[in-house]
Amino acid sequence: MATYALRRIIQAIPILFGISILIFLIVQLAPGSPIDRFRNPRVSPEQLAAINRLYGLDRPLFEQYIHWITAYVQIWRVDAWGYSFIDGQPVLTKVGNRLPATLLLMSVSLIVTIVVSIPIGILAAIRQYSLTDKIITTFATIGYAIPSFLLGIYILYFGAVVLYGWTGFGFPLFGRQTLGGDGNPADLAYHLVLPVLSLSVQTIAGFSRYLRAAMLDVMRQDYVRTARAKGASGRRVVGRHALRNALIPLITLIGLSIPSLIAGAVITETIFSYPGIGDLTITAIIGNDYPTIYATAMLVGIFVIMGNLIADILYGVVDPRIKY
Amino acid sequence: MQSADLRTTPGTIPLPTDYDEVDLVPVRTYWQLVRQRFLRHRLAVIALVTLSILIAIAIVIPTLTGDQYQKSNLALIDGGPRLAAPLGYDDIGRNVFLRLVKATQTSLIIGFAAVAIIAGIGALVGSLAGYFGGWVDNLLMRVVDVVLSLPYLFLILLIVAFFGIRDIRVIVIAIGIAGWTTAARLVRGEFLQLREMDFVAAAKALGAGPRRIIVRHMLPGAMAPLVVASSLGVADAIIGESALSFLGFGIAPPQVSLGQMLQGYRDYFYSNPELIFYPGVVLIVIVLCASFLGDGLRDALDPRQRVES
Repeated sequence: MATYALRRIIQAIPILFGISILIFLIVQLAPGSPIDRFRNPRVSPEQLAAINRLYGLDRPLFEQYIHWITAYVQIWRVDAWGYSFIDGQPVLTKVGNRLPATLLLMSVSLIVTIVVSIPIGILAAIRQYSLTDKIITTFATIGYAIPSFLLGIYILYFGAVVLYGWTGFGFPLFGRQTLGGDGNPADLAYHLVLPVLSLSVQTIAGFSRYLRAAMLDVMRQDYVRTARAKGASGRRVVGRHALRNALIPLITLIGLSIPSLIAGAVITETIFSYPGIGDLTITAIIGNDYPTIYATAMLVGIFVIMGNLIADILYGVVDPRIKY
Repeated sequence: MQSADLRTTPGTIPLPTDYDEVDLVPVRTYWQLVRQRFLRHRLAVIALVTLSILIAIAIVIPTLTGDQYQKSNLALIDGGPRLAAPLGYDDIGRNVFLRLVKATQTSLIIGFAAVAIIAGIGALVGSLAGYFGGWVDNLLMRVVDVVLSLPYLFLILLIVAFFGIRDIRVIVIAIGIAGWTTAARLVRGEFLQLREMDFVAAAKALGAGPRRIIVRHMLPGAMAPLVVASSLGVADAIIGESALSFLGFGIAPPQVSLGQMLQGYRDYFYSNPELIFYPGVVLIVIVLCASFLGDGLRDALDPRQRVES
């Protein structure tokens, strides 16, 4: 087990390097340069060349890459990820300030997804082809097909505007907390409702479709029939024998859903002006803030790799049939 | 004869002795079977019809009306629906219906163009990896892993952001670069199976080179998954473009796409909420149709599936 975990971690390292090379190449191949922002009639070519040298852009590509990647891993240094072009703050600090909000958003969404989709999936499976099943399956198909940004706008519209118009109570249009708030949990939760909702619908649809299929598969297994034959109650068969086995692949599913959660977070944070990593990335892209874009892109890659890694290892821990 | 003996054996199906009595099952070609299986898939047929109608509208109306969709008529700001403008006019007096149709056209063009790139790269990478195996396969699949490690939308965003030009071609290329991985994996999987087939060995024995074997002998066999992946890819590409335009990095005005319309109209939540629903509904319809079509094609193109008549 430990050797397997170690092997998986070692396998992940080249992929991380691959991601860093990919990001580096995208930036290098694209027209435009980080110093374009200094170009204006009052800046002489000599000054531009000096800036170019200052940023190390006159060095060979390979050297630039090595320089960047060796600096990037030294996260104990505050300047490891460079300084933002927008406000001159260390990127590491900026990312550090934004990360908790995104992690909160993503983890709450994941919990909501799991809590909601498990009962839905079971219900659809044990009543296969019933009206309930058909309603659930239809909603799951539609929920899965609706693009997340579309859902986000509609949720914002109904949750903040329409709801307020009808009841005089509405959820906030933007932000992580009330302006000048001191981070009290009730206020944070109040601001989290709509973003979490818009981030969860698609994953709930995906998870419940998957769980339905997994449950149907497990319910046909011999050991479930044996349990039935022994006279175990329906509840016991479903809860103890079927569900436990159907839930194992859920771990992989959670790992695989991390990329879509991150992409969803970029959109959700933009729609709800939620100050997280996604919002930071979009702002950085608008402002041609190269160091910040590098940093967040790498961070997203690391998140995805870590998610897959943890899912793979946990899968082995939970499912005793897996041998390494 | 022999069949007479069989007939007396209990438990076997009696074989007809006189073959004239048998209703001959007409021989059906692969494509006839495909059509039959596809027509059986009711949702897929509905999706195909809907999509065809949408495409027809998106071709005909913009051709007839030209750049009318860009024109704003200040006298008609927030004007109600009428024959010339079934969906009324927007906040600066533009014809919402014409904009919507033009946006649909843009989105469809981007969807299909991007999928052409996706299918092309996917077929190339997948067939090379699957045919040659070994280190070629290993290297190409690691590239796939790397590309998959960055979320689809995020990757498109990065590419478009660094190119800095808000142009249809750049967006199409970005979506193509971000989206080819699934197609490549599917083609590779198919090639790994096909590689072991006798007809490939036969072609090799006849002296065919790798290029000929891949293109003429094996690629047709890997067509089915490629078509299905492409059909689903259209939906992904259109969503990708809309999300991009919605975030402000997509099609630039005065051009219009569904996502960009949404972005432009989201500021009129309070005064004109219906404006955010028109592009949304069209988008959902296109996406649902493309995914139903993909499901139908998957069932129809699978030669292992039988049609019971």
